This record gives sequence, C-alpha cells and structure tokens, in this order.
Amino acid sequence: MAQSTQSEYVTLVSCDGFEFIIPRSAACISGTIRRMLDPSSNFSEAVTGRCVLNDMTCVIDREWIRTTRSGVLVTRFTDVGSFAFFSAVVLEKVCEYFCYNEKHKDQANVPDMDVPAELCLELLMAADYLDT
Amino acid sequence: MDGEIPLPPPRRIRHRSPAHATSHAGTGSGSVASSFHKSRRLSRFDDRSSQPSSEPPLFSSDDIPASGVENYHAPVSTGAGRKRRYRGTWWGEQVIDPKRKRADFKEKRHVDSGVWMGSDESAAESFLSSEDGSAWGEDLLKTALNLRATAKSAAAPASLPAQSKTAFKRPEEPAEHRLARTVVADCLEKGQDSIDLGNLHLRTIPSGLLQPLQHLTKLPTVGEAPVSENVFTSLQPFLRIFLPNNSLSLLHHELFELADLKVLSVRNNKLTEISPTIRRLTALQVLNVSVNRLSYLPWELLWLVQQGELKHLTARPNSFLAIEEAQIAAWSHRSESKSDKPSQDPLQFREYEGSPPAEAWAPIHIATGPTKWLNMEGNPTSDNLSPSTIKTPAESSGATSAPSFREIALRAVSKLPYLEHVSDAELAEYPAMVVPLLRQAREVRIAGGQPCSVCGQEYVIPRTEWLEWWDCSPCENGMKGPRSSGEKLRPLPFRRFGCSVHCVLGS
Repeated sequence: MAQSTQSEYVTLVSCDGFEFIIPRSAACISGTIRRMLDPSSNFSEAVTGRCVLNDMTCVIDREWIRTTRSGVLVTRFTDVGSFAFFSAVVLEKVCEYFCYNEKHKDQANVPDMDVPAELCLELLMAADYLDT
Repeated sequence: MDGEIPLPPPRRIRHRSPAHATSHAGTGSGSVASSFHKSRRLSRFDDRSSQPSSEPPLFSSDDIPASGVENYHAPVSTGAGRKRRYRGTWWGEQVIDPKRKRADFKEKRHVDSGVWMGSDESAAESFLSSEDGSAWGEDLLKTALNLRATAKSAAAPASLPAQSKTAFKRPEEPAEHRLARTVVADCLEKGQDSIDLGNLHLRTIPSGLLQPLQHLTKLPTVGEAPVSENVFTSLQPFLRIFLPNNSLSLLHHELFELADLKVLSVRNNKLTEISPTIRRLTALQVLNVSVNRLSYLPWELLWLVQQGELKHLTARPNSFLAIEEAQIAAWSHRSESKSDKPSQDPLQFREYEGSPPAEAWAPIHIATGPTKWLNMEGNPTSDNLSPSTIKTPAESSGATSAPSFREIALRAVSKLPYLEHVSDAELAEYPAMVVPLLRQAREVRIAGGQPCSVCGQEYVIPRTEWLEWWDCSPCENGMKGPRSSGEKLRPLPFRRFGCSVHCVLGS
C-alpha cells in the first residue's frame, strides 16, 4: 500500500457513536490499533483510517468478520461473550492517554496521568485489549 | 396497663382546608419549618401533646427532707418517709397502689429502655451465650409463625442456633500459631520488647500475630526504696523479634509495618526472597538473614544501610549468586585491576588513614548485572538475552518512558479504597485477563506502595530488573571497624527494579 494514501489522522469511534480524531502516530502506540491500521494487512481500517471500537471481547480466536454498515466498516471478533466497554467516556480517556504518551515519550520524569477511580477497572480492560 | 388514664380535655377541632395544607407542603423548607414552629406554639393551647405516645410515665413525689446524702444510711421509716409514686400525666395523675406485688416491678425492669448499660447483664447474656440465643431464636420463630404448633416449628429452632454456631466458629488454628500468639500476648502483657518466636516450627506468620506489637509499651521498673539514677530509663521499646529455626518461606507484610522494629532475626528459615517492602523498617539496626535460600537481597536493604539505621547485616551463608559466575554488564570497582586503574582501586583507603572517610564505612558498588527488560505485564520479554537488546533499550517494540496504559490504570486501581480487603474469590469474578494484574495491584497496596528505585515514582508493574553487587563488609562484620587497606571485597547481590524502560542505572 502506498504511503500517500495514509492520512495523518485516524478516527476512533466508540460503541455509542462518538468519534475521536487523533494523530496516527499516537494511536499506533496501541498494538491492536497498529495491527488494525497496518497497510499490509489490507484491512478496511487501514484504508479509511477509521476504527470502530464496537464490541470488544476477550479474544481467543482472532478471526475478523466484516460487515458493511452505512459505508463504515465495522470490526467484530467472533466470540460469544462479547461486552461493549468502549463507551465514549472510556475512549476519551484512551485518547487522552495516547496524547499523553506521545507528549512524554522521551522525558525522564513523567507526571502521572489522572484517572478517575470509577473508571480504572474499565480502563484496565481496555488497556489489556488495546495492548498498551 | 392496669388503670384507665383519664382522658385530657377534648381536643379542639381545627378546620384547615386541604388547599391550604398542600400550599404549605409545596413551598420550600423554610415555610415548612415556620409552620412547624406555629404548630408547636399552638400545641400548648389545643393540647396536641396530650396523647401519650408511650405508656404513662412514673413519677415520685418531691424529696422528703431527711433523705439527703448526709443521712444516706439512716433507716427509712416505712410509713411517712416513703415517697409517693404517681403514674400518668400531670393532669390525670394516679397514686400507685403501694401494695403492688414485687414481681410486677421485676417484670417492668425487663422492658427495654433502649439504653444499653455496661452492667446490663441480661442483654449481654442473651447475645453471647448460646442457651439464651436459642431461646431468643425460639421466641422470634414463635412470633413469626404465629404460634403454629406444627412439627416444623418444633424442629426449626433446634436447627437455627446450630447453624449460627457453625457460622461463627473459626477454623482450628495450628498449635504452633497458638503458641506464637501466647508468646506475643505474654510479651505485650509484661511489656517485654524482646519477642522470641524461635524454634516454633512456624511455616507462616499468621495474620494478626505481630500487629499488636506496634503498641507495645515497656513497664517502668519500680525498684527498692533507694532510687538510683538508672531507674529512670526510657519506656520507648527497643523492639526485637527473633524468628530463628522456623520454616518460614515468606515474611508476612505485618512484620514490615512495625516501624519501630530495631532487631530482626530470621536465621535458619526457608526464605527464598525478601520483599522490597523491608524499606519500611526504617528503624532497623540489626538484621540476620543467614542460613536461608536467598539468591539475592532486595535493593531496598542497601538503601537501609546507606540511608537508614541498619548497622549490622548478617547475610551469609546463603545461596547467593556468585559474582564470579554471574554475567556482568559493567564494573564500577574492580579489585583485580590494581595497576591499570589506580583511581578505582580499593587500596586507595590507605591514603585516608587516621580519619576514615565516609566511604570506608559505606557500601561500595562493585558491579552491575545486565538489565532485563520486562513487558507491560511484568514478564520478561522474549528477546532478553540477545546482546543487542541489552545495549539498546527496547525502542523497537514501541516502549516509551511514559508508563503504559495498563500501568496507569493499575496505579489508579491500587489507590482504590478497600482494595486490600478484596478476597481472591471476589477477584475471580473479573475477566480472567485482568485478574493477575489486579492481584499485583492488591499486593502493592498491602505493601503500602512501591516506589521505583531510580525515579521514586510509585509503580505497580516493574519494567526493568537488574542485579547490583555491593560490598557491605563493614556492616557485615558488625561494626568492627572501617575497611582496612587491602581488604578483600566480598560483594553481595542486590536485586533492583525500575518502573519504566528508561529507569535503568546511569540514566
């Protein structure tokens, strides 16, 4: 895939429809998103630069099913016990982290990022999923 | 009750329209309060309070003049001296029949006043003793079942107390734990600050055993009549805990909560690791960890030697990793290279004879082992031992000095209230992938935080790990003296953790 087709920004969509536009380099800190956007994989996300984080599961079988829904390609994992935890609140924190990480990449003393206590368990699962 | 209380004068009926009432209810709290005041004021006149809400109160007459404290023991004349008792409201008082039976009063005493007194034995007994408990349960069941004389109700009260008994019964403690508890309780009782728990065959330190020692106070020694100067000693305990010749494989975190601990001996145990939490024992002066299965010491122990009070460390013999066999990434003090590196030679102390410098006492850094990079879950990364990754930090795998998102979430988790009380069974309800992470966060919480040895940042998952060899011989030989010139250095391995990939030595 040619480099020119890759836009500088990617769009992350939460399960309740909120969109977050962040730099591609920041989003690629996450191993999962990096694999999604990998141009060699030829996934639709790589083409459109748009990741819909819809139903996230504890994935054992990484087989992806794609369905076209109003022009947006939706990524799902084949797993029965799926639960949606990428609500806009969680995804906002995730995007905040991406930018925080980008900012403090090479600093020696990194200040702690503030995480609300009620979100920390959901964020932990999100972090585990996103592989960051 | 027994007598009819004469009714108060009939209440005046006040007419109030419902609309008026709702308007009052609809307005704010201020108007509600004012209406409340109004009704309170009115109640004097229309006798709202006339309906006694509980049974009529019991009064006695004014004091008879001769009943003061002065003649407390004076015999009370049964006739005229006795106070009169009234029952009921002030407008309809009744003299109580003085010839009431004693039993009636006794019955009255058992009516619950709602106030529990320490001396109230009856209540305490009914809660504590099982006989009363069963009777109480029976009573409850009787009222609940409305006195249905079925076979079921006869069987149920028998099973109910039996169930509650088993529920409150604690599992039987091993004999050695009980023995240890009696030793600790005895020391607390007598104010002894030297706790000897040796040779008890302890495999673990039971929880709650050492915690009360935080509040140990010495008893003053009251001697004979000629009081000498040395009677006036400090009551501050010089806390010493001796746990030699046990089978401990792990030190309980309660041990590290004893901030006043001065002497600790865990000689001849089965310890494979000492928790970095030992840094909390800032008052520690003497530590004996010899004859264990340690292959390295926590780096925090070195910190206690350098910054803390630790003066006497007995670490050998142990199955320490020998410096000759270990992989060394960097030498900072090489005793063999006397000729070509004179500035770093241990023999330099010869020059400082007479006034030994701080360095003659302080530990000397000998060497540093290779750094192990750990992944985001704290496991060693696969390409660990290849020499290329030892030199360069794991830039290729996208690691940055900023903490991982897992780490940030875990730091927030470790600050959650009541995390230390979450049991393993409760943790298992969470998705399987985060359970080990949560368990780690809980351990950090129990240990009271875990600062990075390089940057001091509180962390949960270490990202780097390496060994350092330090020579602590002045400490080891028990304050015999500073290093003498030409003395052979005997380095000890210390394991050290860093919180991020950039927290390595020399950064």
